Amino acid sequence: MKRILALVAKDFAELRQSPGIFVPALLTGVGAIVYPFVIVVIIPAVTGERLSDSSDFEIAELFNRTEPAVRGLSAEGAIQAFVFQQALALLVGITTVTGGMSVAAHSVIGEKQARTLEPLLATPLRTGELLAAKVIGAAVPGVVLTILCFVAYVVLIAIFAEPRVWTALLTPRSLGLVFLIGPLAALLGLQLAVCASSRVNDPRSAQQLGAIVLIIPVGVLQVAQFAGGVVLTVPILMAIGAVLAAGNLVVLRAAVSLFDRESILIRWK
Amino acid sequence: MLTASHLTRRFDTRVAVDDVTFELAPGEIFALLGPNGAGKTTTLRMLAGLIAPTSGTVHVGGEPMTASASHLRGRIGFLTEAPGLWDRLTVFENLIVYARLQGVVPAQRAVNAALELFGIANRASDPTAQLSKGLKQRVALARTLLHDPAIVLLDEPTAGLDPESAHDTRALILRLRGENRTVILSTHNLDEVDRVADRVGVLRSRLIALDTPSALRSRLFGKRIVITLEGPAREYDAAVRSTGATDVTVDGDRLSIGVDGDTVIAPTLVTALVNAGARIVSVIPEERPLEEVYLRLIKDESP
Repeated sequence: MKRILALVAKDFAELRQSPGIFVPALLTGVGAIVYPFVIVVIIPAVTGERLSDSSDFEIAELFNRTEPAVRGLSAEGAIQAFVFQQALALLVGITTVTGGMSVAAHSVIGEKQARTLEPLLATPLRTGELLAAKVIGAAVPGVVLTILCFVAYVVLIAIFAEPRVWTALLTPRSLGLVFLIGPLAALLGLQLAVCASSRVNDPRSAQQLGAIVLIIPVGVLQVAQFAGGVVLTVPILMAIGAVLAAGNLVVLRAAVSLFDRESILIRWK
Repeated sequence: MLTASHLTRRFDTRVAVDDVTFELAPGEIFALLGPNGAGKTTTLRMLAGLIAPTSGTVHVGGEPMTASASHLRGRIGFLTEAPGLWDRLTVFENLIVYARLQGVVPAQRAVNAALELFGIANRASDPTAQLSKGLKQRVALARTLLHDPAIVLLDEPTAGLDPESAHDTRALILRLRGENRTVILSTHNLDEVDRVADRVGVLRSRLIALDTPSALRSRLFGKRIVITLEGPAREYDAAVRSTGATDVTVDGDRLSIGVDGDTVIAPTLVTALVNAGARIVSVIPEERPLEEVYLRLIKDESP
């Protein structure tokens, strides 16, 4: 554990010197925050039409009846709460993954490119410890960034949306998404990137494979949510959480056995 | 202390290291020589437990080095070809991470001691990106020795260093021998090897030679002595040959004579020359440069 903490502390110290690493994830987070505001605040303000006047948002009515946090809101507020809640999945998914992957680019892969991996592997550090440190070191900043984005999201909703819409973002469903599903998804994506790294010949492929594995499901989930195909209820989130947790355990074992110190030392250029 | 037994490593169809065997004692400095691509770094990586041999074994203090023997890696200090420092971190931060990874207690005190020992205490809070190549190498050496390893592997430790830094590094290597550590040195610097190595291994995938530098010289070129005279040496050629010496070359005022390992022939030669009226300036054993030894070995092995 001491060796893991030593390496995580090192990674954090390096990140403090390179805040620019987070710019892509930050921009992604800002984009994910802004786009629901465009739908529920800016377009209605520009066109002068309220969302509750449109039949396109009938699903919100259904949602309005099932979600206790939304019951006391106006029809417009309920639709806004629906959109903000649905968009939260994208915010959490994409910011956590982008944040994690941005840092991952400077972890195992970065160590190899900076020629710091070989002396590191020459220490008593075990493969599992190296992977744990690298995955934690990459996941934590992404998760912290996501939480900060979530706080900003709620504050902006409180300022710009209908009164009390922001309270609909403090439900077990939303909090579970931010504090459980997000971190578990980030860990899984990063571990998959590590697995991929032992089966490809260059670091860029490893990064891209890891990101694609998570970004595609996040995108599909978002489309399915807006199409009404999936409503992320607490039981569904719990099920997703359980699948992610189990997936993490399986992938952790696989990562330790697949991570090939030798090929990374010898093949990667 | 360190035993490599029939070490072989293949990369696909290419044999990088082929059946290499040697055994090193505590306090011994062993130099690995060889052209680029001869397998020196691969051999060091196998010794350090970074890559596994295709066949053969490495034993550290009698224990087999395997991928799972992480504790054995703690008994080895490996200076890699590149310093491998985290550029954005300070010198102190670089060393403290390694002290913790190596389980050194208390880590901070060990790092401070290393900073003093290597004369880099005044740069402790500088990012390593700001250091010269020589200073980076010093930090990397400090990192290599931070955990007091019994075995030290040095991959081209003086490559690209200025003469002063190279001299300091050589002094350090000699100090390691004094501390009874086993040192393996991979280098292209033959002069350096001549100065510090107890034994030399010449690698060209296979270990084509393994001995002390003087034994290699004797084996390849025989023992010779050089006698410098006052005046031309040519007129004393006959006197020298009268002692039974057959391998005699004359160059101005110098006679170079093959002595075939017979220790009594030098005084005999001197006596013969003095009796012939020669005035002797010096009598010294001829030291062929190690470079000649190396080039001969490599040439003999060339396909």
